[in-house]
Order: sequence, then structure tokens, then C-alpha cells
Amino acid sequence: MTELLARFAPGLHEWLTLCAVLYAIGLYGLLTRRNAIAILMAVEIMLNAAALNAVVFNRFVTPNEIDGHIMAIFVIVMAAAEIVVGMAIVVSLYRLRASVDVNQMNSMKG
Amino acid sequence: MISDATYTVMFYGLSATVILLALLAVNARQLLRAALGLMGMLALSAGLYVMLRAEFLAGVQILVYVGGIVVLIVFAIMLTRSSELLEDHPAKLTRILGATFSIMFMLIACYALGTTKFTESESTQAVRDEVRDIGLALLDRGANGYLLPFEAISLLLLVAVIGGTVVARKTPPKHQPFTTGGDLRGETVAHPPLVQDDEHVVESKS
Repeated sequence: MTELLARFAPGLHEWLTLCAVLYAIGLYGLLTRRNAIAILMAVEIMLNAAALNAVVFNRFVTPNEIDGHIMAIFVIVMAAAEIVVGMAIVVSLYRLRASVDVNQMNSMKG
Repeated sequence: MISDATYTVMFYGLSATVILLALLAVNARQLLRAALGLMGMLALSAGLYVMLRAEFLAGVQILVYVGGIVVLIVFAIMLTRSSELLEDHPAKLTRILGATFSIMFMLIACYALGTTKFTESESTQAVRDEVRDIGLALLDRGANGYLLPFEAISLLLLVAVIGGTVVARKTPPKHQPFTTGGDLRGETVAHPPLVQDDEHVVESKS
């Protein structure tokens, strides 16, 4: 049993497949959700998958370097900045129009 | 170091849980439940980072995502009263189109993965001081350093803080050149009545 499990130890392809699946789930949420906050959550899932991807490549392709980790840190910081501005926009849009449904947001000027 | 068998079990267990929680985050009708799914998914991703020998990133992930972003999302859900108004199910056509699109993306990505040969290499360092390496790389002025991106991203954070404050500010002070008006413009907007029953979910205007 242990040998069998050890034979299926995840390699680069398994990790990258996991990232692709996560990214696809985020894409599905991005395309189907209508609440602006839910869309931002889907974007977070996609960004997380991308950061994971960078770390996976760092681990398996260039294990002596650190560049993938730096890239992941930048992605995380960018996600934080994006969510701050996104939430500010959503909250002020809600004040202005009393709705966060993206289907009703069709003008640039309130 | 953990054995290969444990590694396999951990990988597939964590992956299945992460995928299920991500599905909950994009499918749950109640947004607070979706935020909970997102939180679990991001926290378990930290476990995946540990498995990839990125312990510092796992800590950053917990601190920034779970401690900051999810809390911000929950606040926004409550501020916009999205938790009271149930998110209605997306139209069937939208769901089918979205699922088709994302599954096609996944299949194409997996096909590209399967047909690509990566040059993998093993680590030559027995023990790795990850935090020290990251710190040195971030402050390195050389050709492989990240000092300029580091400064740029700190500027980005500053801009995000100022921008978020200005955009979401309730009442603008006098002589404030950059403002969206805040509540002063929205005073005429009547808030919708609180909906209690399931009949009055946000109706679609499409």
C-alpha cells in the first residue's frame, strides 16, 4: 500500500493540473455570478491559482532560485490592493444606486 | 521530511478539499457562505504552500488572504446588505455557457500540460533559508534583484490605500480636490425595503 501510494506521488503535472482546475472554477464564477462582490471573490480564486502556479514552477523547475516565491508575493500584494479598491467602488456604487448587481451597471456616470 | 506516501495522501486530500470549497465559493447562494468557502479554500492553500516548501508564503497567505481579504469581503457583503438579499441563481443559459467556457479552458490547459516537456531539476541545497533568500532578493539592486518592483509595489499599496479611502469616503471634507462626492450625492437615493421572504430576491432587469 505504501509503495503504491509512493508511486503516485504528485509531480509537476499533477500540481499544475490542480492549478488549472482552480483557475477554471474561478473563471466559472467570474462568468456566472451577478453580484459584484461574488465576482471579486471569483477573481481572488483565480489569483490564488496563479500564485500557486508560480510556486509550483519554482519548486520543480528551479528549486535553487527564489523568483517564483517573489512572484507569488507580488501576486498576493496585488490581490490585496485590487480587493481594497474593488470593495471601495462596490460600496460607493451601492450608496449611489442601492444595488450591486453588475447587470444593472451599464453607465460610467451615476 | 515526510514520506512519499504521506505526501501523496496529503496532496490529494488537500486538493479535493480545496476544489470542493472553491466550488462552494462560486456556487453558494448565500454570499456569507460563499465567503466562508473562500476562506477555507485560501487557508488550505496555505497547506499546499507548505507542501511546496514555501513556508513563508504559507504564513503570508494566512495573514493577507484569510486575515485581511476575507474579512474585507465579509464587511463588504454586510455593508451592501448582500447577505439579506439572496443571490438568485444565474440563468440556465449563463450557467451552461460559463461551465462550457471554463471546462474548455481547463481541457485546453490540461492538454497543453500533457504535451509539454518541462526540464525538472532537484534541489541541491539540503537546508534552505527561504525567508533570508526572499529578503535578500527583494533588496538586491543587481540584475537579478527585485528592488525596483519592490518599490513599485509599495507605491501601489499606498495608491490603493488612498484610493480606497477617497472612493469609499462617506462625506467629503471641504476643499478636497479628489472626491467622488460620497453620500452627498446619494442622499436622494431611497434605500430599497428590507426583504424578508424568498419571493423578493434581487430581480433581474436583463
